[in-house]
Amino acid sequence: MRRERQAAIFIAGLLAIVAAYWLVMRFVQNPEVSFLPYYTFRTLLRIALTLGISIVWGVPFGILASTNKTASIILVPFIDLLQSVPILGYFPVIILFFVSLFHGSEIGIELSAILLLFTSMAWAIFFGVVGAVKGIPVNIIEAAQGFGVTGINYIRHVLLPAIGPSLISGATLAWCDGWFFMIAAEYVVYLGATYSVPGLGSYLAKAAYVYNDLNLSLILLVLITAIVLYINFLTWHPLMERVATGTYKPVVRVGLSGLGKLGTIGPRWLRIGDRFHRPKSIILASKWLKKYTRLEKAIALAMSLGGVFAMIYFALGQIPSPEAFRQAFSDPELLNLPIYIVLTMGRLAIAYTISLGIALGMGVLAAEHKRFAAVFYPIYDIGQAVPILALFPIFFVYFSRIFGGRIGLEMTAILVLVLDMIWYMFLNVVGAVKSIPGEIKEVGRLLGFKGIGRIVHMVIPAILPAIVTGSILSWGTGWNTIIFAEYMPYEMDMFGGLPLELPGLGSYLDKTGYLPPPKGNPIRLFFLLGIVASIVLSMEGLIWRRLLKRFEKYRVEV
Amino acid sequence: MTVLDIEHVTKTFQFEQTRIRVLEDVSFSVKEDEFLCIVGPSGCGKSTLLRIIAGLEHTDSGEVLFHGQPQRSPTPKITMIFQLFGLLPWKTAFQNVEVALEVLGVRKETRLEIARSHLKMVGLEGFENTYPHDLSGGMKQRVGIARALALQPEVLLMDEPFSSLDELTAKNLRSLVMDLRRKSSLSTNTFIMVSHNVEEAVFIADRVIVMSPRPGKVVEEVNVDIPRPRMSYLRDPIYFKYVDQVMEILERTK
Repeated sequence: MRRERQAAIFIAGLLAIVAAYWLVMRFVQNPEVSFLPYYTFRTLLRIALTLGISIVWGVPFGILASTNKTASIILVPFIDLLQSVPILGYFPVIILFFVSLFHGSEIGIELSAILLLFTSMAWAIFFGVVGAVKGIPVNIIEAAQGFGVTGINYIRHVLLPAIGPSLISGATLAWCDGWFFMIAAEYVVYLGATYSVPGLGSYLAKAAYVYNDLNLSLILLVLITAIVLYINFLTWHPLMERVATGTYKPVVRVGLSGLGKLGTIGPRWLRIGDRFHRPKSIILASKWLKKYTRLEKAIALAMSLGGVFAMIYFALGQIPSPEAFRQAFSDPELLNLPIYIVLTMGRLAIAYTISLGIALGMGVLAAEHKRFAAVFYPIYDIGQAVPILALFPIFFVYFSRIFGGRIGLEMTAILVLVLDMIWYMFLNVVGAVKSIPGEIKEVGRLLGFKGIGRIVHMVIPAILPAIVTGSILSWGTGWNTIIFAEYMPYEMDMFGGLPLELPGLGSYLDKTGYLPPPKGNPIRLFFLLGIVASIVLSMEGLIWRRLLKRFEKYRVEV
Repeated sequence: MTVLDIEHVTKTFQFEQTRIRVLEDVSFSVKEDEFLCIVGPSGCGKSTLLRIIAGLEHTDSGEVLFHGQPQRSPTPKITMIFQLFGLLPWKTAFQNVEVALEVLGVRKETRLEIARSHLKMVGLEGFENTYPHDLSGGMKQRVGIARALALQPEVLLMDEPFSSLDELTAKNLRSLVMDLRRKSSLSTNTFIMVSHNVEEAVFIADRVIVMSPRPGKVVEEVNVDIPRPRMSYLRDPIYFKYVDQVMEILERTK
């Protein structure tokens, strides 16, 4: 029955996509439209290739970091630092490096696109592997030792099977992250020049910015969403169902009304289900680092800083002179930095509050009522498949026509942020409500909890840890998006002379990264990235970790 | 006087394509002031039966009558203590007891007083502001008992309440329940406990109902005629006679 349904989805989906391609190529008037299948192939190949690279990198390094103490004190803080910096912030540096390395040829741009995708995809795999290896129960390890399973046999019979499920879920996540960053990776305007590689993302960007064709942008967006959905249903969903049986801890699954009895909902769902993702890794890493002495921590920090400086060195090709530093910090706009931080944080906070409110309502309803689940899960599946960054030009053109340039841009930024942040919150809320143990629910019923009382006394406290987890993820992705959303590196007249930037840390970072000197400056770019990283890390340390620690007590023992 | 009548209760669960019948035509009555214990092999539906009595599960056919009236949804007159305690981890010991009264609409001063006195009664004075996370298993179950009794139920249902505790703690808690039962001030006088521990059942119950493997049916009832308090009978042949009798029935039903 299931296999038949799968086959039906496969055939119907394929026919629908082929028909859609034919229709687009037949009726859309655009010089590049005949390349659409080729662009699709290139994008798929690029993301798949990067996924492969991420796995090849992530598995050995993940195993190394989780089994070797010395490796872990170097790798974990370094990777934690790297992933706290928004990828889009340091993309110009990568482009600069590769373009100069390959003298402006397409290989350089292709490599930088792959590297950008890699930096967005690899963490999920790495932390998935780390979480899985760390999660192997002691009795399994002891049994293996007792039976003399060591060396390559230990890797074959214990480590790899344990990694399997997390690898699948990590790969699912990475795949989604790849689509998310695709448009940013395939089309970059830097120092006045456009760097693009053939693909769906670059075609979508060109449709909006070069051809100024809103209809084509929308059509492409729908096509991309359909392809992502199609691939998710065909590959990741069945794979996840299959591996769910092999985990030591149950993978949380939810009933997807209308889509079978027990379907896993979309890939980002796994951020809760499999407990391998970033918050888990943060908790894991922090627990783990607690074991180390101050000296060891200092060495780790020094090595992380060393790594960052090495990156600067590579990026600039030389050690910066004092004069270069003076130039970097002589920009008058730097005085606005405090107000920029406030403005950007304000936008993030507004979007976060809206996402939290909506996601809480939707999540609780979806988790508790099948009728709502039947509506909200498909919305989620489609919502998380839409490449959010690609929505930006479409919303912007639309809103600016109605509300005018500045308000239009402000609204676009916040709406894009909300659409990006909301799914993390939604999934965490759904997952947490679903995992409230049956005994607690029974207690609630026995004690007569109903309506608001039930929400206040039972549901909200039970899901507080998940709200914090969702918040960390939401803010993390929000930083990436706001750097994209506050600034549009395109010609003003393309949008009828509309203002193309919002004052804020994101736009300042973009200008510093993408514009020619003196506005653009690699040293200042690293300084600003350092500011972002410190804001992210201090929020983690001062707010999220404290809250998580506090809510640890609320964990329901089962 | 009969408090509860379980009449021809049948229950089936459906898991995907499989239907599992857990209870089949279960009938018995529970009298006022009685301590009834239900024993049976794992999966025979004892806990499901308890949940049906509590109004947490519905029957497929048959009925539970409470004072002659159908009992189909939870009521404060019948409360329950759980194997894994069922405490709300985000509330302190005191709040766990108090919230049960708050939902019932008890005035604040009264409920504070009831919560305080019940925690004292189960020996948790001084632990009012402690979260379940920081309490031992035995202490958590004491909170569970205090919370259930604070509602002043007529019937207290206990779902393997001591099975997740070490033997020494379990022994202390059994004595606590026995002591509480003797308290004349307590409105709770009917107890139904589910257990897979035959010694525990014989020690604690007036009557033991033995159930068959799935689908659970009542196989036999054993009236335990050992004088109370029973502590001094734990090495007495009469105690072992009842234990052997129940064990024999269980063996026979295999």
